[in-house]
Amino acid sequence: MTDHVTFPDAVQWAVPFFIAAILVEFLWIAIKGRGGRYETRDAITSLIMGAGNIASGFLLGFIAYAFFMWLWQITPLNLGTSIPVIVLCFVLDDLRYYWVHRFGHRVRWVWASHVNHHSSQHYNLTTALRQTWTYTFTFMMVVRAPLILLGFHPAMVLFVGGLNLIYQFWIHTEAITKMPRWFEAVMNTPSHHRAHHGRNARYLDCNYAGVFIIWDKLFGTFVPEQEDDRVDYGLVHNIGTFNPLRVAFHEWVGIWHDATQKGLSLRQRLAYCFAPPGYSHDGSRDNSNQIKAKHVARHPEDRGTPGFERFAKSEAESRSSA
Amino acid sequence: MPLEILLVLVVGGIGGIALLLHLSGRSQQVALTPDSAREQWERHFPDDDIIDVTISHDGHAALVRTGTGNGLLWSFGADTVARHLLDYDLLDHPEGFEILFHEFSAPRALIHLDEFERRHWRDLMEPA
Repeated sequence: MTDHVTFPDAVQWAVPFFIAAILVEFLWIAIKGRGGRYETRDAITSLIMGAGNIASGFLLGFIAYAFFMWLWQITPLNLGTSIPVIVLCFVLDDLRYYWVHRFGHRVRWVWASHVNHHSSQHYNLTTALRQTWTYTFTFMMVVRAPLILLGFHPAMVLFVGGLNLIYQFWIHTEAITKMPRWFEAVMNTPSHHRAHHGRNARYLDCNYAGVFIIWDKLFGTFVPEQEDDRVDYGLVHNIGTFNPLRVAFHEWVGIWHDATQKGLSLRQRLAYCFAPPGYSHDGSRDNSNQIKAKHVARHPEDRGTPGFERFAKSEAESRSSA
Repeated sequence: MPLEILLVLVVGGIGGIALLLHLSGRSQQVALTPDSAREQWERHFPDDDIIDVTISHDGHAALVRTGTGNGLLWSFGADTVARHLLDYDLLDHPEGFEILFHEFSAPRALIHLDEFERRHWRDLMEPA
């Protein structure tokens, strides 16, 4: 199918809104004296990462687009561009986002691209723009293939993906504590996404949702933000640089160093590339499961609480604490 | 959106926000106290047992001795970064020490030390 369909690049058109919203959030924090923190170099780095993300789209976006157009040519299905189809595409693309995001935290090759989004120790609207420059190299565009083969036009798929990213912009804030209960139940919110950005053991590998938090509830990765466990933003091992090039490429360099060490088996080299972050062949590092296990060993009172459900209290412990 | 307008928005937006943050005092580095340094180290390395903490006179770095060896905690904007002192080079610098970590994501830290501190820190970092 080669029919010509065009949709606007929603992310580009949202740039003035991004800038205005950052100014509003900054002024809110400055006037109220609460609701988040800003730091000059951290914010500049995040904004440059955002600009670089747009630039990488210009430079490398054709690779994904060519792949999508090839899929579009071979599929016999065409669902058209009616409003209900766009809405359905948005919902299904959000499901696609959930899984890509989950892979982004559980597969080091994809984490190498996504890690920079988590590399700030701050959480404000500039953090939302700290985006990857290297997404193309993860080959995660293949996760969109089913949508196009089902008959959603590639331009529409990219359009709803842009709307998804725009939605996620506003949830990168501490200025909003909680949304109404019904909204928190269905939608991704600042509270849910703050937990996702936490480096606390409790919050590792949770809340992968883009727009609808229901995916996390459905697939068992939802952890609500806890009042008694304030979110500590950043990486388990925080980076010590504001240099955007280092921010963009540090995990790729780490993979290279790890996978090319002398004396490793092929399996170990592949594990350094594709196993969950924290893998090491000699046990010198901890992955998220090991970090959680160590945490509950230090804090047994947290057993069975959100984020530590798999370390549930034994029956005897439950009886003695009752 | 025309590319020229996008470029002006991006460059102007980044420049304007940077200026606003700097002029409103958001460029200050966090200053450490012995207690905050301990707290920060435990935040970065919760498994470690801290023996003692030595703070530089400007409050922007701390040498942390732990049960598993020495570590360096330093100001990173409004936050901190910490590393165990395992694979590093210690270089003299007119203002103190420059520490090179052989790590792409944390390449160096400049520690401001006076002459007395420099000798003390070297003794702690490189015991005879």
